[in-house]
Amino acid sequence: MEVQTPASPSGFIDQLVVPGDMVLDLTTLSNQTIKLGGGLRQDGDAISVIKAGKLRFSKPNKYWVESSQKRYVPCVEDTVLGIVVDCKADNFLIDIKGPTLAFLPVLAFEGGTRRNIPKFEVGALLYVRVVKANVGVNPELSCTDASGKAAEFGPLKDGYMFETSTGLSRMLLSSPPFPVLEALGKKLSFEIAVGLNGRVWVNASSPSTIILVSNAIMNSESLSGVQQKIMVEKLLQRVQ
Amino acid sequence: MEQRLANTWRMTVNEKKFIETALLADLRVDGRRPFDYRRLTIKFGREDGSSEVQLGQTHVMGFVTSQLVQPYRDRPNEGTLSVYTEFSPMADPSFEAGRPGEFAVELGRVIDRGLRESRAVDTESLCVIAGKLVWAIRVDLHILDNGGNLVDASNIAALAALLTFRRPECTLGGEDGQEVMVHPPQVREPLPLIIHHLPVAVTFGFLGDDNIVVIDPTHSEEAVMGGKMTATLNANGDICAIQKAGGEGIMQSVIMQCLRIASVKAADITTKIQNAVESYNTERALKKIKRHPPVPLDVGGLSTKPTENQHQSVGQKGIDEMSRRHLERLKLKSEEGCSSQSHDIEGENQTYEQGETKMRDRNANCFIGRPSSWDPYSKGVDPESLKALLASQGT
Repeated sequence: MEVQTPASPSGFIDQLVVPGDMVLDLTTLSNQTIKLGGGLRQDGDAISVIKAGKLRFSKPNKYWVESSQKRYVPCVEDTVLGIVVDCKADNFLIDIKGPTLAFLPVLAFEGGTRRNIPKFEVGALLYVRVVKANVGVNPELSCTDASGKAAEFGPLKDGYMFETSTGLSRMLLSSPPFPVLEALGKKLSFEIAVGLNGRVWVNASSPSTIILVSNAIMNSESLSGVQQKIMVEKLLQRVQ
Repeated sequence: MEQRLANTWRMTVNEKKFIETALLADLRVDGRRPFDYRRLTIKFGREDGSSEVQLGQTHVMGFVTSQLVQPYRDRPNEGTLSVYTEFSPMADPSFEAGRPGEFAVELGRVIDRGLRESRAVDTESLCVIAGKLVWAIRVDLHILDNGGNLVDASNIAALAALLTFRRPECTLGGEDGQEVMVHPPQVREPLPLIIHHLPVAVTFGFLGDDNIVVIDPTHSEEAVMGGKMTATLNANGDICAIQKAGGEGIMQSVIMQCLRIASVKAADITTKIQNAVESYNTERALKKIKRHPPVPLDVGGLSTKPTENQHQSVGQKGIDEMSRRHLERLKLKSEEGCSSQSHDIEGENQTYEQGETKMRDRNANCFIGRPSSWDPYSKGVDPESLKALLASQGT
C-alpha cells in the first residue's frame, strides 16, 4: 500500500481526499497555529483525513474537508439553525440535524443571567453557533459570538424554513455570492439565514416571494451558474 | 432513545404559520395551487403485476401475486382479493419495522374497500372449482418514501399492478374433471384479471381555521392540517368509498364541492394509468416473440454480423424486429438442413422478403449478439407450419 507523504499542504488543497490520507506534516510547519475544521484529525505530527470530500483551505490557517450530505456532523464554530425540542433547568435541548440533540445553556445569551432566561416554545427556530462538538457527546451551542455579543444569533420570527444538503448551504454562504441569490436579490427583497447543517430560513414581505426564493434555492443545487440565472428568470417571469 | 429523539422529524412554528398564511393567498409551499396534483409517474417492473408510482416525493411500489386456495364457506364461487401494506422504516423516521401501525392499517383498509365494495376486480372469474379451489389475489404495497398523501399513491400503485398482472391459466382434467393443471407461462399465455372499472382515491386536506381545502397534501401540509378526507371514485362518476376518520368537522357544501373536484381529478388519473398500462402492454406483446421455443442457431451465421454493432444501443422494438427476422431466417436454414454461409441466408431472404428489405437494412445495423443455443439434436421445425408461416409472410 502506498503511503503518500505530501511535500507541501498545497498539494492536496481542493482535491478529493479519502479517509486515511495524511495531508499535512506538522514538522514542516513549525511555529504556526493551524485551525482544523471538520473532517480532519491530528495524529501526532500529521494531520489525517477522516471524512471523504474536498480539502479546503482558507487564509490564514484554516483547513477542512467539505462534502455534501443530508446529515450534519457538528463542528466547532459552525453557525447552524436549530429547533427547540425541550426546555430543561440548565439547557435547552436543540435539534440541529446531527446524530444527537445539542444543548444550549440557558445563560449563553448576551447579558444572560438567571433572572432573564429567555422562554422558547417547542418548535421555535434559533440561529446558533456550535461551541463544543466531540464524537459521542452532545454538542454545545451558544447564542453569542466569541466575544459575548448577540450578533444576530437568537430566535428567528416568521418566515419559512426548509432543508437542503450541507453542500448547498455551504455554497449559499460562499463568497463570491451564489448566482441564485444574486439573481434573486436583484429583483426581490428578502431576508435569509443559512445554517451549515442544511437548514435555510427565508423571510419576505409577501408569501409569494418567500415561496419563489425557497423553490429557486431548492432547485439550484445541481445547476451551473448560468443555468441558475436562467432558472431564476423563468420563475420570475411566471410570477409577474 | 437518544438516537430516536435526534432522528424525529420536527416542524417549526414558523413553518406552520407560513403554510397557513400562504394558503390564505391561495399559494402552496411548493408553488402549486390548492387543487393541483403533484407530478405523477407510473413505471412497471420486469414481472407482470409489479408497479412503481412516484407522486412528487412520495414513492410506492405495488406487487400482485396469486395463489390457489380454498374459498370462503359463504362464497364458494368467488376468488379473494386482499391488500397488504408494508411501511418501510426508510420511508419516514416515524415508521417502525414490525407490526403495522394504525395508519398502515387504515391505508390498507381504504384501498381494500375501494376495490372490494365497488367490485372492481371480478372475483367470480377467479373460481376454478366451485367450493374447492379459487384464485386468491394478494396485493402488496411497499411504501418507499413518504412525501405525503400515501393513500392516493398506493391506490394508483395497486391499480397499475392489478391491470398488468397476469395469472397462470389452468385447465381441469383428469378422470373426474377435478384435477387442476396450472400451466406455466411458457406453455400457455397467462391471463389478465377482469377489472370492470378503476376506483381512484383522491385525498383532501383541511388546513387552517377556516378549513381551506387542498388536494394531494405534502408531508409538511399533513403535519399542519386539521382534518383529511379521501374520496374513492371512478371515471364514470360513481363514488366507491369515502373515508373521513376524525379531524375537523366539515360543512356539507364543502364535502359536495370536494366530491365534484374529485371526479374531475379521478378522470384525469384514470387516463394516466390507462396510458401507462397501454404502453406497458404493447412492450410486453413485442417481447412475446422472444418466448418461442429455442430454435437451433448457427453460430457461424451469428459471427458474420459486424461486431461493431454490438456496442450500439438500440430501442427494444429494433431488437425485437431483428430477432424476429433472425428467427425466420434460421427457420429457413433448418429447412435446408445444412449449415449455410451467411450469404446463402441473405440470398434466400432476398426472394422471400422483397417487400421488407427496408426493414432489414434498418435492422441490420441494430443487431446485438445473443447467447446462442446450438443444439444439433433437436427435431428442427415442422415444414408444414413453416410453409404456412412463410406464405403469410410473403403477402
